Amino acid sequence: MKKVLGGNDAVSQAVSVCDVEVISAYPITPQTSIIEKIADLIYAKQINAQFIKVESEHSAMAACIGASIAGSRTFTATSSQGLLLMHEVLHWASGARLPIVLANANRAIAPGWNIWAEATDSLSQRDTGWVQLYAANSQEVYDFIIMAFAVAERALFPVMVCLDGFLLTHTKEPVEILEHETVKQLLPKIKRDTLDPANPKAYGALAFPKDYYIIKKGQHLDMLKVLDIFDNVSLEFEKITNRHYNPVEVYPKPDSQYSIVALGTLSQTARLAVDNLRKDDIDVNLVKINMLRPFPQQLLKQLLSDKKLIVVFDRDISHGKSGIVKDEIAGGLDLCNVVGFVGGLGGDKITESTIANAFLDAKNAQIKGLFL
Amino acid sequence: MKISKDEIALPNNLACPGCGASLAMRLALKALGRNTVLVIPACCWTIINGPVGKNYAGVPVFHTAFETTAAVASGIKASFKMQGKDSINVVGWAGDGGTFDIGLQALSGAAERNDDIIYVCYDNEAYMNTGIQRSSATPYFAQTTTTPEGKDRPKKDLMAILAAHYVPYIASVSLAYPQDFTKKFEKAKSIRGFKFIHIFVPCPPGQKFLEDKTIEVAKLAVETGVFPLYEIIDGKYVLSKKPKFTDITEYLKLQGRYKNLTQENIEFLRQSIQKKWEYLNKRFNE
Ligand SMILES: Cc1ncc(C[n+]2csc(CCOP(=O)(O)OP(=O)(O)O)c2C)c(N)n1
Ligand code: SF4
Ligand SMILES: [Mg+2]
Repeated sequence: MKKVLGGNDAVSQAVSVCDVEVISAYPITPQTSIIEKIADLIYAKQINAQFIKVESEHSAMAACIGASIAGSRTFTATSSQGLLLMHEVLHWASGARLPIVLANANRAIAPGWNIWAEATDSLSQRDTGWVQLYAANSQEVYDFIIMAFAVAERALFPVMVCLDGFLLTHTKEPVEILEHETVKQLLPKIKRDTLDPANPKAYGALAFPKDYYIIKKGQHLDMLKVLDIFDNVSLEFEKITNRHYNPVEVYPKPDSQYSIVALGTLSQTARLAVDNLRKDDIDVNLVKINMLRPFPQQLLKQLLSDKKLIVVFDRDISHGKSGIVKDEIAGGLDLCNVVGFVGGLGGDKITESTIANAFLDAKNAQIKGLFL
Repeated sequence: MKISKDEIALPNNLACPGCGASLAMRLALKALGRNTVLVIPACCWTIINGPVGKNYAGVPVFHTAFETTAAVASGIKASFKMQGKDSINVVGWAGDGGTFDIGLQALSGAAERNDDIIYVCYDNEAYMNTGIQRSSATPYFAQTTTTPEGKDRPKKDLMAILAAHYVPYIASVSLAYPQDFTKKFEKAKSIRGFKFIHIFVPCPPGQKFLEDKTIEVAKLAVETGVFPLYEIIDGKYVLSKKPKFTDITEYLKLQGRYKNLTQENIEFLRQSIQKKWEYLNKRFNE
């Protein structure tokens, strides 16, 4: 069945078919309509969950941590300042290996106050040990939320699904939605180690260097396994939906002299730019990143190591360095032929011709600077 | 009031000798029973409970970030509710720093929502785990490493702050009165909604007294009127124990943290105790 949904509605609708038991969240533009809709759905008895209406995002994540260690499927949503406020407890959630799912509406970071799209908020949390998925349209948002629960519970890691503020959260598109019963197949209840008075254990106790090292090394190695877990979930998901997702997608085909790389809605704009460039016989493709953590290194290497030039577009920035995705690609793949452009910060407009022109500048070695 | 013989907390934990916080846990768990889970933030109990593989509390413990006790406890309770495990006592167990200071916002949130948890603050009147720095629970004139001159502000009245949240149960307890202590924990266990219990815990290295004086310090805190024992039940203040009002010098002279007090300081403290009791008596008589 198809429904016309904005990205935020897609999140709430997806949550409503996932048997989430505890939700805790705090409002922030442009995430707010996600939790308003969830409150309505709970009130209408279409979601059977406890909704803890906390006094901050920090407590929202803390409450999810509590609910998750007690054994419940949990969800929260936030954006920008809210996600940043959670920073310490994001680490706690992943360190405690809790399968929490979070939707983040990507938004700029103050000062100056700005509620529009930018991915610096979630990209700056890439080292918190969360799986990160970036959606480019409402269908992906809907699908990624459902897949996120499956990945989280099989991998025992929290998963963050990111969607660009307004550009995606508030743009309506037709979305193929799933029946509750169908989703249940993908999300069986998996038994895990949770608080139980019959088994008086301590979780997260004092760890001296040797134990600490074992814990953190294990966390890293397990995180790398998420790539396979994602593939398995994706195959199962395809069986019920006919839609398939890879951690990285390529358009229109892998084989090309040049690549443009982007994530989120910026990849949609880049796709149009690729179409236009190809019309002019320029042999370029788009590499769209769906998963940034764990870093799909092998896949990206396969797709990018033979290119003459790779141009990465970022709607985010690491001040004093570059766009964050550019840094990930160049550093993560040990490549020197990567050029990065930063643009669209705080919702500033980027069109397909901005991207195409910047690509041509890079190709012709006429780069004037980092910023579009 | 019978105190259970069941020793839930295990012996040989990592507390300093004479630690009031350790004894507080032992007594509290006797009243709470084994059907309990604890949320413990950064504080001395992070250490006391032992490293990976140990759990001296004897009931499940979730160690959590310093400021998150109340919110994590709320989340656990919500989950247990969904699973039909509502009978498990969900207990936040935090120091004064984690309660009066950094965790106050989350605490206020849980209290305002009237979440069905028991929040216990074991109050040793400073940040002991990090080496005795002031907190907003540190009393007037007490010396800490960040108030070498003695603190220049009074202890925050957290009981009153919680009362302003209209929660069903608030109580203060002392290790020197184990019957009263047990009765209040059992009462908290029987009430639905948000419960807060404030324990004054003597701490030999932090408050600077000899480790065999723990109970004496606890008792004098009550007897001098410094730490009043009372309940606030649905907004009604109920006095638990009328002190003898032993002179405060008996209490102060035991503790090195008060070694630099002048006669003027002591007189000031006498008057503050009087004022505090005038304020409380008005409420007890309402
Ligand atoms: C966010 C954060 N800030 C600071 C610390 C360092 N820290 C750990 S315990 C502690 C003091 C705890 O004091 P209190 O709550 O009174 O417990 P006590 O140690 O006295 O038992 C501090 C400052 C921390 N762990 N987390
Ligand atoms: S410093 Fe004080 S509270 Fe902490 S373990 Fe030692 S005696 Fe107990
Ligand atoms: Mg303390």
